[in-house]
Amino acid sequence: MEIKIALAGNPNSGKTTMFNDLTGSAQYVGNWPGVTVEKKEGRLKGHKNIIIQDLPGIYSLSPYSLEEVVARGYLVNEKPDAIINIVDGTNIERNLYLTTQLVELGIPVIIALNMIDIVRKNGDIINIAKLAEALGCEVIETSALKGIGSTEVAERAAELAEKKVAAHMPSVFDGSVEHAIAHIEESIEDKVSARYLRWYAIKLFERDEKVIDELKLDPELLSHLEEHIAACEAEMDDDAESIITNQRYAYISRIVSISVVKKRKAKYSTSDKIDRIVTNRVLALPIFAAVMFIVYYLSITTIGDIVTGFTNDTLFGSWIMGPLTAWFAQIGVAAWLANLIVDGIIGGVGAVLGFVPQMLLLFFLLSILEDIGYMARVAFIMDRIFRKFGLSGKSFIPMLIGSGCSVPGIMASRTIENERDRRMTIMTTSFIPCGAKMPIVALIAGAIFNGAWWVAPIAYFIGVAAVITSGVIIKKTKPFAGNPAPFVMELPAYHIPSSTNVLRSTWERGWSFIRRAGTIILAASVFIWFASSFSFSGGLHMVENMDHSMLATAGNVIAPIFAPLGFGTWQSSVATIMGLMAKEEVVGVFGVLYGVAGDALKMVDSGALSGLSPIASHFTALSAFSFLLFNLLCAPCFAAMGAIRREMNSAKWTWAAIGYLSVFAYAVSLIVNQLGLLIGGHGFTGGTAAALIVLAALLWLLLRRNPYEQAQHLAAQATK
Amino acid sequence: MVEFFTNNLATIITAIVVFALVAAAVVKIVRDKIRHKSSCGCGCANCPISGSCNKKNTDDQPV
Repeated sequence: MEIKIALAGNPNSGKTTMFNDLTGSAQYVGNWPGVTVEKKEGRLKGHKNIIIQDLPGIYSLSPYSLEEVVARGYLVNEKPDAIINIVDGTNIERNLYLTTQLVELGIPVIIALNMIDIVRKNGDIINIAKLAEALGCEVIETSALKGIGSTEVAERAAELAEKKVAAHMPSVFDGSVEHAIAHIEESIEDKVSARYLRWYAIKLFERDEKVIDELKLDPELLSHLEEHIAACEAEMDDDAESIITNQRYAYISRIVSISVVKKRKAKYSTSDKIDRIVTNRVLALPIFAAVMFIVYYLSITTIGDIVTGFTNDTLFGSWIMGPLTAWFAQIGVAAWLANLIVDGIIGGVGAVLGFVPQMLLLFFLLSILEDIGYMARVAFIMDRIFRKFGLSGKSFIPMLIGSGCSVPGIMASRTIENERDRRMTIMTTSFIPCGAKMPIVALIAGAIFNGAWWVAPIAYFIGVAAVITSGVIIKKTKPFAGNPAPFVMELPAYHIPSSTNVLRSTWERGWSFIRRAGTIILAASVFIWFASSFSFSGGLHMVENMDHSMLATAGNVIAPIFAPLGFGTWQSSVATIMGLMAKEEVVGVFGVLYGVAGDALKMVDSGALSGLSPIASHFTALSAFSFLLFNLLCAPCFAAMGAIRREMNSAKWTWAAIGYLSVFAYAVSLIVNQLGLLIGGHGFTGGTAAALIVLAALLWLLLRRNPYEQAQHLAAQATK
Repeated sequence: MVEFFTNNLATIITAIVVFALVAAAVVKIVRDKIRHKSSCGCGCANCPISGSCNKKNTDDQPV
């Protein structure tokens, strides 16, 4: 017989860590609330019949957020055989609120008192016997991060599920509330199973609309129930929902007073002290900028550059490409085939793989920031800024995830309840440079800007600036007008990063990058090599000069579109278009067309960029920066466009989003390139005039008065 | 004919290997597409809503 055990608990209480520990899975664990939005399933290690289900973190069983709806729907409708309620021992008062609701469900509940190692370290004492007695269910001490007690709690939950031992209902409410609940139970006992009777009765007392709809009670019965509720409200001089909430908290206070002894603490914990600096009104932003600068500087410019230099120069350049070419000649492989393998496949795939060390280092550093809890602070810091520009800090979570890959970032926008904010977040998430865009940044930084330290960090801040600018512009349009949704987020305590979490996250992201090099990039490189080596004119034949190839013919058709941006060559145009398949393919195309796999860093080392580098000869610093800007900000890859389509659930909105991204990218690159040329002394041209008009239009969109502001203000007044 | 194969053996074997590699890559791309597996850069394990995604994909419903 299969036993289903659900893991339920507050956000960031360690459910996913315990889930991974119990099932041997490698689900993503993030040290911020809201990592899990849907339930995930796995089998308990060594017990194939026991299914463990990881639910999203919730504070209560009230349907206030998508996560709570998902978790509640599952617990009530799908009925797991047992619930492991994970309670963060360091925040016991707040966590027990959900516990008081879970035990009312009539499902066997066992409490995993998690983070017990930190509780002990803090010098606090929790009397689990008293706690268990007060809550009517068993309590086991655990530390999911250190693997303490997880298996024991799961096995015990399975035993309870087999015996169907439900938690003993504690007496949480006062007499008059219990009286009203008893009446409601009596009225609906033929409509719900006995197991759920109390839970439904309490929800009806709270006038939970979803439950009222679900039970389809007739108006007469509803009016009868209303009499009991209203009488109780009159007696307690409060509304029903507040009565229940207050009495739950009063009950929890009583439990905590008898079972928890907190060591006298300093006024501020270590996390509080760090937060006083890190989230300080003045210092927060400079610290965030400095942290991101260090992350990108280390991963792209210094350590990453050294390792990537070795991969490109030594591994691909000296150890693979050179000897392989010689070996092919020795064994008599046809020149065209040797060329396909060395310049096409190794040149294209190698150009992308060469950046793997930089990617791994970037993902490693970002994972550390996530795991210690800093990224949760960033969402809090960004909320203050985003709010001024029409977005909420909640939008920053998808952007944070999007720094790895835009696809899950766009999908994570589902946590945003407000439709306007959600659409706006979907439209702007891909501005944040994803991992696949980093090779473009590294390539341009290395080949054109002499490995300048500022290129990589600036790419990140350009993304953030594009999000903010777009927020201001879009918020002043009718479909997006309105105040951003409030953002409430619990800041988790800082902790030493877990090596397992950090390495798992780094590997997951890095491996996907490598896997894509072996599939999409490989196929695309062969296509690019073929298209750049053959021509159709006068019958299919191989060409000596790429400029006469079919790729050049096609690229030259598109090139004029990009000419005003400064990179109107067929190679750059093809690279930009191929970037829609996968952003790192921009580098792959350069790898095939320019043979950068082993050259770019050599050129940087020798300092003879303009003469030796085929890339540098096609770009000036200005046009390279414009190329970088366009590729960072324009429409994302097809996978991300698919995600936009799914999340928007509307072709119109999808095209609006992709159109906006492309037009915005074009406008910014045009302004930068044309005004850069003007400043550089190239004179006033038609392009300069066009750039000035676009700049004026952009400034007008940014600075104009919000035409819907007054309507919002009036609406808010009317509500009051 | 035999002479052609003998003279171009290295090219033929290398071409077969390259063709097999490219074919395998294309098959993998197509198979992933049919299975609705995203080609995104950080895998489903990193996606906060992979549960929903996989479930709906098997039903062939829009997510």
